[in-house]
Amino acid sequence: MSGSSYYRLRRIKDVIVRFMVYLALLIALIPLFSVIFEVARRGIIAINLDFFVKPTPTVGEVGGGIANAIQGTFITIGLTCLIGVPIGVISGIFLSEYSESRFSTIIRFFNEVLNGIPSIVIGIFSYALIVLAVGFSVIAASFALSIIMIPIVTRTTEEALKLVPATIREAAIALGMPRWKTVVYIVLRSAKKTVATGILLAIARITGESAPILVTMGYWRWWFAGLNRPVANLALNIFLFANSPFENWVVLAWGSALILIMMVLGINIVVRILMRERY
Amino acid sequence: MSRIMDAELRNLSTIIYKMGDLAYQAVSMAIYESLYGRDSYDRIKEISDTLILLADQVEDKIFEIIIRFQPVASDLRIVKSYMKISYDITRLGRYALDISYINKRFGGLGGSEEWIRTYIADMSEKALSMVKMVMEILRSQKIEVIKSVSEMEEEIDKLYINFLNKIIDETNIKSRVVVSSVLVIRYFERIADHVAYMCESIIYMLTGRKEFLR
Amino acid sequence: MSTYKIEVEKLNAWFGSKQVLKNIDMKVKDRAVTAIMGPSGCGKTTFIRCLNRMHELTPGARVSGRVLLDGINIYDDGIDPVQIRRKVGMIFQKPNPFPMLSIYDNVALGPKLNGVKDRKTLDLIVRRSLELAGLWDEVKNDLDKSGVSLSGGQQQRLCIARALAVEPEVLLMDEPTSALDPMSAAKIEALIRKLAENYTVIIVTHNIQQAARVSDYVAFFYLGELIEYGPTKDVFEKPRSELTERYITGKFG
Ligand SMILES: Nc1ncnc2c1ncn2[C@@H]1O[C@H](COP(=O)(O)OP(=O)(O)OP(=O)(O)O)[C@@H](O)[C@H]1O
Ligand SMILES: [Mg+2]
Repeated sequence: MSGSSYYRLRRIKDVIVRFMVYLALLIALIPLFSVIFEVARRGIIAINLDFFVKPTPTVGEVGGGIANAIQGTFITIGLTCLIGVPIGVISGIFLSEYSESRFSTIIRFFNEVLNGIPSIVIGIFSYALIVLAVGFSVIAASFALSIIMIPIVTRTTEEALKLVPATIREAAIALGMPRWKTVVYIVLRSAKKTVATGILLAIARITGESAPILVTMGYWRWWFAGLNRPVANLALNIFLFANSPFENWVVLAWGSALILIMMVLGINIVVRILMRERY
Repeated sequence: MSRIMDAELRNLSTIIYKMGDLAYQAVSMAIYESLYGRDSYDRIKEISDTLILLADQVEDKIFEIIIRFQPVASDLRIVKSYMKISYDITRLGRYALDISYINKRFGGLGGSEEWIRTYIADMSEKALSMVKMVMEILRSQKIEVIKSVSEMEEEIDKLYINFLNKIIDETNIKSRVVVSSVLVIRYFERIADHVAYMCESIIYMLTGRKEFLR
Repeated sequence: MSTYKIEVEKLNAWFGSKQVLKNIDMKVKDRAVTAIMGPSGCGKTTFIRCLNRMHELTPGARVSGRVLLDGINIYDDGIDPVQIRRKVGMIFQKPNPFPMLSIYDNVALGPKLNGVKDRKTLDLIVRRSLELAGLWDEVKNDLDKSGVSLSGGQQQRLCIARALAVEPEVLLMDEPTSALDPMSAAKIEALIRKLAENYTVIIVTHNIQQAARVSDYVAFFYLGELIEYGPTKDVFEKPRSELTERYITGKFG
């Protein structure tokens, strides 16, 4: 008798706790969904063929698109990756494979510090170093973004490589493979999906950066005109268009926001798929 | 720390010691019979058959130990030596029975010449004490004692040859006495031999050395 | 009498300040199986890792003494450890095929990285190594499959094939069957005997019966010292050392 009432009590507790967990989850999800919903609702109006093929409209021009911003974003990210990925991956390899060297402790420390620096500070650093020499430019922006990217890629690469079992490394070394070949052909190869995941996450992160872009590249409403010139950018578009007095620009801001969200979401989905496939 | 195999090895030892006791009994009965003519053939036969049975048991147990534990080193040597020793002990019983058969067939040596009786008494006592000693060495593992056993074995060999030389020159001894005394003495000499084999097994078992005492 | 393939002289090994091998002197016969026995932590793995210069890869690890391979000290200045490891192959306790590579590539990788380019030659090396390891018939139709799709015993034979593909002269095996079922282990044991016709095999094993079955010589290590070393039959019939006796009869501790 008392056994069954005890059981009932336990069941009730279970239900209550479960209800609270779901409620908390719901509360946490509300902002995310409302953002996506709101952006989608308002952004969807902007989306038509012109939106994807036309550049920023001039003042007073109706319609227009964000094609130049998409182009610019890809170019900036591409150049950033060109700088950031090799440096990040190589540092990651160094930290993981040569961790006995005292040098790696230092690198690891600075990497952590770098990771914690606000992106606007990095932007200003790039401004001082590059903008003052070259002018507002893709190079300056990519430099700033790659400084944001490097610590992320370094850390994820290091962790990815450390996950490769020591037994596999030893197998390669015991076959008479030089250390660097072991690292490149065996360790990196085993971890390539995890490394790619890290790179993608870093890309997702820099795609949304606007502050360093603002101070390194500024505003540019035309097409790409060379790496030493600025180029348009999605994240910056949102910031600038949303504040503009023109109604069609505000619409374009929402459209840009939607595209940006889709890109980040897309990257995250790819990451998910990669993670699932691992081994 | 005690291993499972240790219990099995102890069981084996127990059987071997029991076999030693039985063989000792059989040999002493055979001696008594030869000298004083009491008939113990049936009892000795019984013991000899028991010994054969026990030797079979030992063999079985040893195979079981090999299957279960794959003995190595001292364990392996114990097992091999026990196998041989158990066979040697059955031989002791068998020679006691052979002696008993001769006594039964030819009526013993009770009525024979005094010197023959003393000779046999002396030699058989030596053989019997060798049996006792070897079993004690097995129990106590005191291999120092083996030296005296092997000395006795040499003595018995000499006594045996000596006896043959002596009896061949005697002309007025009944052939019944000649035949039975020669056979009985020969069997005691064989008993001593098997005791010596047992000593060799013990040396191998305890030290891994393969020595020949003969 | 065959000659010695490896002569170990006054070998000492450390992890940091902890000495784990003490003055080991040991001559290993060519084309024979030498088994290394000893309680856990006595330095067996460390010992064989000193024979292909893997020990020094551990941070803080150190070696002194000489290891002569065909009369040449592998610890001499100017000797490339990578070259030594090609001559002295190693098989590990846990089968460790490269998970991202196919069965074929697992075996072909060594020769490939050593400069064999021609596809036909590679095919031949792969086939011969797998045949030698007794795995060819089981995998010849699945060469593209991942190495980790095989059973544990097959994986271990794949690892042996992989080691054989770089044409070593010595094979070091660290408890190669301890993660395998009895049937797979028996296959590997038979393989070890066969390999001993052409290779010098050194096998670490915790299984005393396995040492008795496969080896021509056994060495017993205890607390970093070589306590006993001799022909297998002699050691298993009459060990010279009381320690060996207690170890192999299970009276340890
Ligand atoms: N990476 C390491 N760092 C420090 N000490 C180590 C390391 N690897 C092993 N040791 C120590 O060195 C000693 C010998 O280790 P080793 O691995 O050679 O033993 P083993 O005989 O192979 O043992 P097992 O039978 O358990 O494999 C042990 O006392 C161990 O604690
Ligand atoms: Mg080990």
